[in-house]
Amino acid sequence: MTDAHTDFEPRITAFVCNWCTYTGADLAGTSRLHMASNVRLIRLPCTGRIDPLFIVKAFERGADGVIVSGCHPADCHYTSGNYHARRRFAVFHDIMEFIGVDPRRMTFSWVSASEGAKWKDVVNEAVANVRELGPYEAYRALAPEAVELEPSGHSGAEVAS
Amino acid sequence: MTDTATAPVYTGVDDLRRIARELLEAGDVRVIIGWEAARRGARPVFVSDPAETDKLIFDTRCVHNLVTYLNPRRDHVAELGKIALVVKGCDVKAVAGLLRESQLGRADVVLIGVRCGGVLEENELPAALALTPETVAPRCYGCDNREPTLTDHLVGEPQPEPPRPVMTIDERVAALDGQPLEERWAFWTEQFGKCVRCYACRQVCPLCICEQCIVEKTRPQWIESSAHPRGNLSWNVTRAIHLAGRCVDCGECERFCPVGIPLSLLNRKLQDIVRERYDYTVSDDPENAAPIGDYRLDDQQEFIK
Amino acid sequence: MSRIGVFVCHCGENIGRTVDCAAVAEALKDHPGVAVAEDYKYMCSDPGQALVKKAIEENNLTGVVIAACSPHMHEKTFRRAVDQAGLNKFMCEMANIREHCSWIHEDKDEATAKAIDIARTIVEKVKHNRPLEVIKIPVTKRALVIGGGIAGIQAALDIADGGHEVVLIEKSASIGGHMSQLSETFPTLDCSQCILTPRMVEAYQHPNIKLHTWSEVEKVDGYIGNFEVTIRKKARSVDEDLCNGCGDCQGVCPSKKIPSEFDAGLSNRTAIYVPFPQAVPNIPVLDRPNCSLFKGRAKGLKKDACGKCKEACLKGAIDYDTEDTFVTEEVGAIVVATGFKLYDIGRDQPEGLTGYGEYGYGEVPDVIDGLQFERLASASGPTAGAILRPSDGTEPKTVVFVHCVGSRDPEKGMSYCSKICCMYNAKHAMLYKHKVHDGRAVAFYMDIRAAGKGYDEFSRRAIEEDHAEYIRGRVSRIFRDGDKVKVWGFDTLSGEQVVIDADMVVLATAVRPQDGVKELGQKLSVSVDADGFINEAHPKLRPVETNTAGVFVAGACQSPRDIPDAVAMASATGAKVLGLFSSDELEREPAVAIVNEQTCIGCMRCELVCPYGAIEQREVCTVDGHVCGHTAYVNPGVCQGCGTCQAVCLSKSVELQTFTDEQIFSEINALCAWE
Repeated sequence: MTDAHTDFEPRITAFVCNWCTYTGADLAGTSRLHMASNVRLIRLPCTGRIDPLFIVKAFERGADGVIVSGCHPADCHYTSGNYHARRRFAVFHDIMEFIGVDPRRMTFSWVSASEGAKWKDVVNEAVANVRELGPYEAYRALAPEAVELEPSGHSGAEVAS
Repeated sequence: MTDTATAPVYTGVDDLRRIARELLEAGDVRVIIGWEAARRGARPVFVSDPAETDKLIFDTRCVHNLVTYLNPRRDHVAELGKIALVVKGCDVKAVAGLLRESQLGRADVVLIGVRCGGVLEENELPAALALTPETVAPRCYGCDNREPTLTDHLVGEPQPEPPRPVMTIDERVAALDGQPLEERWAFWTEQFGKCVRCYACRQVCPLCICEQCIVEKTRPQWIESSAHPRGNLSWNVTRAIHLAGRCVDCGECERFCPVGIPLSLLNRKLQDIVRERYDYTVSDDPENAAPIGDYRLDDQQEFIK
Repeated sequence: MSRIGVFVCHCGENIGRTVDCAAVAEALKDHPGVAVAEDYKYMCSDPGQALVKKAIEENNLTGVVIAACSPHMHEKTFRRAVDQAGLNKFMCEMANIREHCSWIHEDKDEATAKAIDIARTIVEKVKHNRPLEVIKIPVTKRALVIGGGIAGIQAALDIADGGHEVVLIEKSASIGGHMSQLSETFPTLDCSQCILTPRMVEAYQHPNIKLHTWSEVEKVDGYIGNFEVTIRKKARSVDEDLCNGCGDCQGVCPSKKIPSEFDAGLSNRTAIYVPFPQAVPNIPVLDRPNCSLFKGRAKGLKKDACGKCKEACLKGAIDYDTEDTFVTEEVGAIVVATGFKLYDIGRDQPEGLTGYGEYGYGEVPDVIDGLQFERLASASGPTAGAILRPSDGTEPKTVVFVHCVGSRDPEKGMSYCSKICCMYNAKHAMLYKHKVHDGRAVAFYMDIRAAGKGYDEFSRRAIEEDHAEYIRGRVSRIFRDGDKVKVWGFDTLSGEQVVIDADMVVLATAVRPQDGVKELGQKLSVSVDADGFINEAHPKLRPVETNTAGVFVAGACQSPRDIPDAVAMASATGAKVLGLFSSDELEREPAVAIVNEQTCIGCMRCELVCPYGAIEQREVCTVDGHVCGHTAYVNPGVCQGCGTCQAVCLSKSVELQTFTDEQIFSEINALCAWE
């Protein structure tokens, strides 16, 4: 299993909260903690904002794995966003596992603004896990052909008006 | 299986008809929504003439969850005036859901509860049949609301428990849980592959009440509308997540699905999840707050690093 | 058409060494919707910003992406520049290719490819940005200071002198904090109370300061400029307006054996008490759990077991039937100055800490801590300033001072240095020697941290003038031996074990945050670090702010510090608060949620999850006034922009501006363009 994927570089999308994990990732940078380069962060104000639809869409668009990370319980900048996210993602995680999605493709973590080192570990572990699992061909194969969205030259606001 | 055939016609039908007639005669209620006999099984009926209340039946053919007519998006029903609805124990849990979500005022509807002992899985034959392990709707087994409390009237005598089906839904869910991940994936992608995106499941669900469904949103289009397995997976997973802690297990979605996707397995799994993680069971008590939207400081988080 | 400008910063070598910035700009030039893409050495510098402004004007840009450091660093900087060039500042975003790319990867190809991805993603996001306007909210020009120690008093005075009302609350019966317990302060050996009491009185008498002692924060609602704080004024049993501070009640109280908190347990007080003679306000409180009358009532006695203080009070100020009351104060800014307490070496420890069994768990007589030594040395203390052993009242001839008890000790759960102990230990050694000329003062230390002004000189005085013996090494055990205290230590400089038969041992126990700070923090949405100290917004550049706008922090509650640093920090918060109050309106980021009333069905699950109560249900009426449904409404003044409402909305009928579904969708989509 591992041999077939030695030259496979996982593509991982991370949905992180601005106040804790994004800042923790900044700290990892300030501390020059080197880590795997496979993760791209999307900044949200809070894990409370993160919708399971984002994760489904990320898999549809070619991500081999996702990371969802935010503030530790009791430390949410907005008091309770992460508590709601915790329940939402527990249900999502269980449903996806029931459907047959390998939970190792989804990493959930609490990384605070001072945990640069932990972020590095979360990233490296996620990349290692997904590398072992291989590219998420099974998901992409669900559609008849991969739909490549060409970025448009128009802004959304213009089209609306 | 032991002889657990239950009577096809339930008691209390006379009381049901009398109450319906009295409500209409008193003038406050404008229409009774209940079941009537049909060429194939039973079907919903809207009775507004007191003289026609004898049409109302209650037997094992009455599978329909009539609470779907309380969906506030059905303006045409609301325009008929104040409704009295006939509800089984499973159905009335959906009314509690609508109350919780501000879609209904308690005084807006009269609820005529019926004491039910289970319904048929297939509702095709002219006459009511007794329930057997082969004919009973699997979701009836283990019913926890045979004595509904969210009612204005409650008719019929307490019925015996529905018979155990040949294979219970819990057994089928457990069988799936016991399979390796790849087999589950193969199973569900095959099932969702059949989906034609008719949205009958959504149309009949009493708790699918959004003015504009997420699947119809195009800016952005989170859920692809084409009927290929990828979009179907997204649709079905989203539908499931939206129903976590809300689904009352009335079984209508699966019954309506023209291609036989086993939605009852997903629904039961949702119930297992909120019960195991949050000690939550959907009931007909409107004060029982839904688990999603609520939280506890010590909620489980074993899946979080 | 989108006309987005992409500006790639080299940040000197910080980005340029690992990311080929020119290549990034080149790659972005071809990206649909990008009108211009440039790279430059220092984008945040004046010429860099000028470059951006020029490009906006020359190319009629509709959006700007700065591929550089973290938005936490310079988003404000670039948004200001963009605004000056006439483009709405919310059309400017940063792509983080430094902290999240150049600083964490080595391979130049990988890092450059990643930087291109990151920049493209943000370009796609910006296409869906909207030209928003800031939200203006009024500011209540009153401040709340939590904690009446030296830091709290200083902050309150600075804000009050600046012309604004301050509510100062203190949970004990008097302001003054630990500074009032000290005998002299380093490095001047000023009498602590002498320099503190005038400040305490000034705070008490200041027309702009409203003092609530014996009070705690119950609840905090609202947000910067508009906080609503509910304060619990605990039942004092003494009417603050009637009491004249005569002290007769204390004289007649029969419960005399309660350990005095002010004297750190070295003396006793009565149940009705004023903590110390110079207390401000000079109004007693009745310690109900230790009062015979209240103990009787708790047992259900029909007739009160005592009542002597009430009888003795000529002003009729005592009332046993008062209850806790609640006061609501509206303020625009909050300063947290809750101070510190000392680590207790006992067996009973909170999670994460370990007691000091090696030193006897606090059960060995004549082993005391720094605050207890201060009380002994204090002229108004339990021994009138004489250094005497608590066990038998005799004068100790050999006193051992142990540095770093708990501090710098990961095994005990506290890795940090408590900063003040090297200095106060030198002070204690000196004070002891000044009072017991033939005494022997021995100090076991690890390092001497005497970095302040006059500090090193002071430290050396203890050794050179007062002949304190400083031994570099740790103490492994302290235990009772007859009527002596045996100290086993080690001298690392000579390599020999040291055994001392001390008469008294003073432990420099670690500085800890006060009890209840974590819970207070949660009420304020302010976090504490792993050691329990309040988190500052940025350790270098924002040391007196927290991550909650409008909540500031001063003094030892943020980390151990001495009096001059606490005072400086308090004045800094005063400046911040006065700055906040300098305008009538505050500008808020327009990151608020807006409900689409066409599609909202009023299910109100958004209301359930909103942490700020910003959402309410409204009726939807037909033209003839008939209610036909409900919808949600978000108050833009209260919404803090978390977006939880949007994630729970099943139909996405509420959109959080600046993080809309379209923006996030476009970012997710952009990431599929990886090669």
